[in-house]
Amino acid sequence: MKSIKILHLYPDRMNIYGDFGNIICLQKRMEWRSIQYEYHTRSIGEAIDESFDIVFMGGGQDKGQLAVAQDLQLKSRALHDLMHQDVPILAICGAYQLFGKYFITAEGDELPGIGLFNAVTKASKMRMIGNITLQSELFGELVGFENHSGETELLEGTNTLGKVIKGYGNTHNSQFEGILRGNAIGTYLHGSFLPKNPKVADYIIQKAMQLSVPEYELTPIDDWLENEAARIAQKRS
Amino acid sequence: MRKSLAITSAKLARSVGKVFNKGGTAMPGLVAERIDPQLLGKLVEHNFPRGVVVVTGTNGKTSTSKMIADIFTSSDISYIRNTAGSNMQRGVLATILAHCNKKGRCDAEMAIFEVDEAYIPIVCPYLQPKIVVVTNLFRDQLDRYGELDSIAKSFHKTFSDLDATLVLNADDPLVASLGRDTKNKPVYFGVSDYIGEKIINDHTADSIFDPNTGEKLQYLQRYFGHIGIYRSESSSFARPKPNIDLVKMHKITKSFSEYDVKTSTYSQFVHLPIPGLYNIYNSLAAFAVGVTTGVHNKTIADALQANEAAFGRGEELPYKDKALQMMLIKNPTGFNQIIQTFLMPKPQINPLLICINDNIADGRDVSWLWDSAIEDITGYKGRIIVSGTRAYDMALRLKYAGFSVKSIHIEPDIELAVEFLAEATKPNHTGYILSTYTAMLAVRSIISKKSGHIVREMSQ
Repeated sequence: MKSIKILHLYPDRMNIYGDFGNIICLQKRMEWRSIQYEYHTRSIGEAIDESFDIVFMGGGQDKGQLAVAQDLQLKSRALHDLMHQDVPILAICGAYQLFGKYFITAEGDELPGIGLFNAVTKASKMRMIGNITLQSELFGELVGFENHSGETELLEGTNTLGKVIKGYGNTHNSQFEGILRGNAIGTYLHGSFLPKNPKVADYIIQKAMQLSVPEYELTPIDDWLENEAARIAQKRS
Repeated sequence: MRKSLAITSAKLARSVGKVFNKGGTAMPGLVAERIDPQLLGKLVEHNFPRGVVVVTGTNGKTSTSKMIADIFTSSDISYIRNTAGSNMQRGVLATILAHCNKKGRCDAEMAIFEVDEAYIPIVCPYLQPKIVVVTNLFRDQLDRYGELDSIAKSFHKTFSDLDATLVLNADDPLVASLGRDTKNKPVYFGVSDYIGEKIINDHTADSIFDPNTGEKLQYLQRYFGHIGIYRSESSSFARPKPNIDLVKMHKITKSFSEYDVKTSTYSQFVHLPIPGLYNIYNSLAAFAVGVTTGVHNKTIADALQANEAAFGRGEELPYKDKALQMMLIKNPTGFNQIIQTFLMPKPQINPLLICINDNIADGRDVSWLWDSAIEDITGYKGRIIVSGTRAYDMALRLKYAGFSVKSIHIEPDIELAVEFLAEATKPNHTGYILSTYTAMLAVRSIISKKSGHIVREMSQ
């Protein structure tokens, strides 16, 4: 069986909220199932010049984000191609914002996104911080921690990741969180996101495996610890 | 008139607070501030003839302040000092009020204030410090402090209105950059020789870019996080040469370190009886303050040699015929420093309790656990116990670092967890307790109760 190629975008600049936890989680859950993987990174000035099976990008500091936004334009075409090939993509926080159409900064400047998601984000004066719980049609209950001042508005024909049970979500009052497009997921949840939401981690791994073996089904893993940690996190929110 | 009314009311508030034993050290500050918002500035203006020292930064504020205090004591400089818990505006004011008479006069020649990073822009204009120490800048409770760049920016702006010596960590690019484009005099401290363990799985390098140009930094040496010897690719920005320079590391053990510090005029041997590279950095910062204040190098070294661990920062507490060593962890860098100092050195057998709480004082967000280098201690042989409100998050982190779930003892109740740790620790051996802030307070009171020893309280 071929090796799953993980692409981690801008790990040196977009890594602020324990985002490495998501990579560690994907790697371990593949390791436990004896699935081979390779870990690749691309940062500023490094082209996406080959194909990948999983794309991940996290959030960064505002200053780091500006340089990344410019560089991301050069990677836009390659990322759109990967999306059209049904490659699973996970974009968290800053990545979620930059994968939208544009971002309006606090100063009113428009920062272009790459339009992978049909969404727009505006900086707000409010910082939405705290534990968050969602009810997702696809995944069931999801838990995490959000910390953002951008408010993301989903445009026509989009699906959200889930309905907010506790917390803010896309905007301070939208009642919905994140976005789903094909096998791509955008969300504000960190904490880290995947370790306490193993169903999403496995969804990403399964979709990646199905790129070469369409009928591929993952072998289950005992997730009692993951589920217990999620249950307690949900209670703490 | 307003000033004396404010002081009298504050003193009254203090005694009322004492009677009701509420402990809240900031309360008198709050009362006084309500009556006279300018009081802090007025009090400082008429006191501390040899100046105010402000200590800030993400990690090491309390330990560094304590070392500076010890140096001042050794050279007969009288001073007042706030405690870790009162490092915001009202706490600083309350500290001064507690030490002055009704006319607002205080006997001390100097004052040492550790100040929360977020309060630097608010407090510094009033304090007009002669010396500002910045220990380091790391990601810490982003839900409270916001992002690093904005903190550095606010520091730069605040310092530009001061007439002060800036004591800066040369090995932290973001801190060192505060010495650029400033009319203040920078005094840099740094480590040019290192022989201890190094963190391998390090995700805490927050500032590996030139803060001005965004250019990536190249590291000749990297000790932990973004701390090390660096220069930008174009050499437009490089680690400044330290004025207080650790040029030779002789020994670095789990209980002490020995090294030579070089200044422009002499080389001084230091025996620091508390462990860890992070404490070495704290000692260099304190050394720099001593030198800046005119204290003799031998006196500084003697004071450092007599140092004891600060509250919860590596102090050993007796527990029956065992010792339990307390280490505060607040952020991934702090966690990594404990890993580097205590958990990486072989044989890795001390029983270990990790208590993670997510109350406001700890930071509600526990995602930083995933940025800690747990992978560096995957082969750890000692018993591991996890506790606190987020015990399961910590257990999960250990699982994904390669520990078998069966080998981790999960006990959310801190009291039971401490008992379990004590059981697992052999007589005359040491058990380690790593805990977040509120968990540490709980652990201390449990140990105090169980061991029958009176554990030193936080107020000094």
